[in-house]
Amino acid sequence: MRRYDYHDGAANMQYNLKYKISPLYNRGTWSSIIKRLWGRLWGGNAPDPYLALLASAIGLLMAVPVLYVIWRSLFAGAERWTRLLDTRIPALMQNTLSITVATTLLSIVLGVSLAWLVYRCDLPGRHLWQWVLAIPLVIPPYVGAVAYIMLLGPTGWVRDLLGAAPVDIYSFGGVLFVLLMFKFPYVFLICGAALKRMNSSYEDTARSVGMGTWEMFWKVNFPFLRLAIGAGAILTSLCVLSEFGVIALMRYNTFTSAIYYQMESYDNISATVLSFPLIALTLLFLWLEFLSRKKQKFYQTTNNFRKTETIKLGRWKPLAFFWVGSVFLLSVLLPLSVLVYWSVFGLAGGALDSSFWGYALNSIKVAGLATLMSMLLALPVVYLKSRYPSLLSAVISKISSSGYALPGVIVALGIIFLFNQYIPWLYNTFFLVAVAYLVRFFPQTLQYGEASLNLISPRIDEAARSLGYPSRKVLFRVIIPLLRPGLLAGGALVFVSSLKELPATLLLRPPGFDTLAVRVWVEASEAVYHLAAPAALLIVLVSILPLKLMLSKY
Amino acid sequence: MIAIQLDALAKIYPGTIEPAVNNISLEIEKGSIVTLLGPSGCGKTTILRLIAGFEKAERGTVSLDGKVVAGNGIWVPPEQRGVGMVFQDYALFPHLDVYKNVGFGYKGEDRRERIMQVLDLVGLQGLERRYPHELSGGQQQRVALARALARRPVVVLLDEPFSNLDADMRAQMRLEVKRIIKNAGATAVLVSHDQKDALAISDKIAVLEAGEIQQVGTPREIYQYPENSFVATFVGQTNLLKGKIGEDGCSVLTALGKIPYNYTHAYQPGEQVNISVRAESLEMSREGNIKGRVKEAMYTGEAIDVQVVVDLPGGESLDLVAHVHPEEEVREGDMVAFSVLPNFVKVVGDK
Repeated sequence: MRRYDYHDGAANMQYNLKYKISPLYNRGTWSSIIKRLWGRLWGGNAPDPYLALLASAIGLLMAVPVLYVIWRSLFAGAERWTRLLDTRIPALMQNTLSITVATTLLSIVLGVSLAWLVYRCDLPGRHLWQWVLAIPLVIPPYVGAVAYIMLLGPTGWVRDLLGAAPVDIYSFGGVLFVLLMFKFPYVFLICGAALKRMNSSYEDTARSVGMGTWEMFWKVNFPFLRLAIGAGAILTSLCVLSEFGVIALMRYNTFTSAIYYQMESYDNISATVLSFPLIALTLLFLWLEFLSRKKQKFYQTTNNFRKTETIKLGRWKPLAFFWVGSVFLLSVLLPLSVLVYWSVFGLAGGALDSSFWGYALNSIKVAGLATLMSMLLALPVVYLKSRYPSLLSAVISKISSSGYALPGVIVALGIIFLFNQYIPWLYNTFFLVAVAYLVRFFPQTLQYGEASLNLISPRIDEAARSLGYPSRKVLFRVIIPLLRPGLLAGGALVFVSSLKELPATLLLRPPGFDTLAVRVWVEASEAVYHLAAPAALLIVLVSILPLKLMLSKY
Repeated sequence: MIAIQLDALAKIYPGTIEPAVNNISLEIEKGSIVTLLGPSGCGKTTILRLIAGFEKAERGTVSLDGKVVAGNGIWVPPEQRGVGMVFQDYALFPHLDVYKNVGFGYKGEDRRERIMQVLDLVGLQGLERRYPHELSGGQQQRVALARALARRPVVVLLDEPFSNLDADMRAQMRLEVKRIIKNAGATAVLVSHDQKDALAISDKIAVLEAGEIQQVGTPREIYQYPENSFVATFVGQTNLLKGKIGEDGCSVLTALGKIPYNYTHAYQPGEQVNISVRAESLEMSREGNIKGRVKEAMYTGEAIDVQVVVDLPGGESLDLVAHVHPEEEVREGDMVAFSVLPNFVKVVGDK
């Protein structure tokens, strides 16, 4: 009987082979080839094609504005290219590179010295300094610039006091100083994290062969810190390259401001030509960052980790304290005091009227829309990358980040082109501003989402499936609830970044749609300080809220 | 009744040439506990995932309760297979409490009663409102088991269920899991690399190596009558010897001399064979005809694991493993003598 059963089964199988499987194989060799390639691409673990399609579409959405700018620049015409190459680009290149290099180099000096004093030495209040010195990072640099203009500008305090400004704030030195004050925390935080991770065994070895603190710093700590310094320096450079507010407010001229003014005068095609070298520069720095990351993998702390000893400052303590204190004074205390001072004036003069709250509401509306979109769109991309790792999902995740490092003016330029040409009915709505925020800050949600989904084992998904839930339901019942904290954290950062964003807002807002950031810009440009200060202060206060969240990254 | 039938299953992961599992045919009876036992990388977890539907086989069929669920152009997704799965890391939903974890996916009218019933079965009454992170490892495992059993699955699959528990917990949970599965009347397939787990809990064991089944049998059959040298060495400790069947038909002639053997009926006298002599079947006795010097003696509490060097007539020597009763005194360098008990001797295949 069993034998018979077996033969029956075998015959049945042959039947199936003949009539079910073989026709499918013959019907289209193309479809079978594509199917096989698709399977191989995912290593046998292929996702729902709709999911892959959706994630690819999102990735493209993030990359298209920038790609479109490059594309349009290629059709700007030889005449325009030669004119700009002859007249504008060399000077802009020199301006951009000199401010980038100068800010980066001084950031290294400032960041490393502060990190060393705060993380390694017995500086009084060192644990407080660790996060207090990170505050400048969350203050938008243009707010800092506004504060310093209030202080040192032609109608500033100092002039009122002395009769004449001691320094010209609208200069290379002025721009450099403001950028330095608000960008140094990158190097400071990354080097500080590296110093914290450093195992004491290296220093013990140095001490045991008779090195003093100074010699040890150069021969042991500095080489160890080199990668951290490199990473911080590249981040600083990328930030300066894309900086717009400080540059424009202080009347310096780099690619970002040149592109902005070109667009203001409705010469978008020239703007694409000017964008081209800026994109190239940015990509160069991104490539350097990629290289430095690859190297970092070789440095791993061993299991028997022991914290390094705190170095006694001794008689240097007052000097060290003065150094750290001055940086804090100049980068946080002084600018905020100026803002508070003018805010008090503003409040007395009724600055918090209904139009002020209208601007705040606009800010919240557009930033909130961008935040919602970023959380929603991050979901498929994060899910695909974490659950179906492959070349394609890695590429999607990478191109989704393309707007992050690129200057806001370029993102805005691409969005203007795209909407003007293909979706004109949305042109001149605040939706464009939200899309710009989305493209610029999407990677923040992506990063936090990925981090939290990677903590959830894929076995959890499988458990849910074996309990009777098809994969789409698993997404809603299990993945989304577990992903929520990560997405919310990422979303919070997107919200704050959007609140602070200046260049894309200025370029894309419909007429009459003013946000807090726009007001700060407009009032500061017209030297109406008592109206600029309350909005700036509000932005700073909101920006400081997620500081703790940001610090957890380092 | 057959609960699971695997027929000539083969799975090749993309990018590899060697199949992860090959030609796997296995029948699992309803209500039995079967362990897939093998070293890491032998393909045992792949088989489990093929049954659950998390992997697709290149060849062969999987049938559950008499119905083909994979192969022959048929594919039933995991959510429709009615298979309960207990993962190695338990995979409890961290955002749900015990009650909701166990009830996840249970849609019957009697939801509450069923959840309480299963919680009672695994001994977790009163912990319904706890969250997974508030439970011990053993409790988490019980929740995972309860969750897998709640829907009255055709079969429960357990992936290395004891590997995350410490030694005391492990021994206790072996008994517990066996009791729970038996009380639930469930069919269970376990994956393990630990022979103690497998021997203690299983009705049947399938020993795997390099993606293929080496032997299927009861724990006693596997231990006492290994079919090939892999099974003999992987499960328990053994001595592999070359020899030929004796003229008397109840012994094997080896370099150590004549070894008694009861199951020679399948062989001709004089035939060349390999035999496995379990460490337990070497009994220390003064009259023993195998004499050697103790190279190493390790006291484990239950026995003394002894390595003995036996000098052979041709000037060569042979290393043997023996388990000696823990009351005996054995020191390195001692001369000892052994005799062989026939019950743990088996002719084995070459593999």
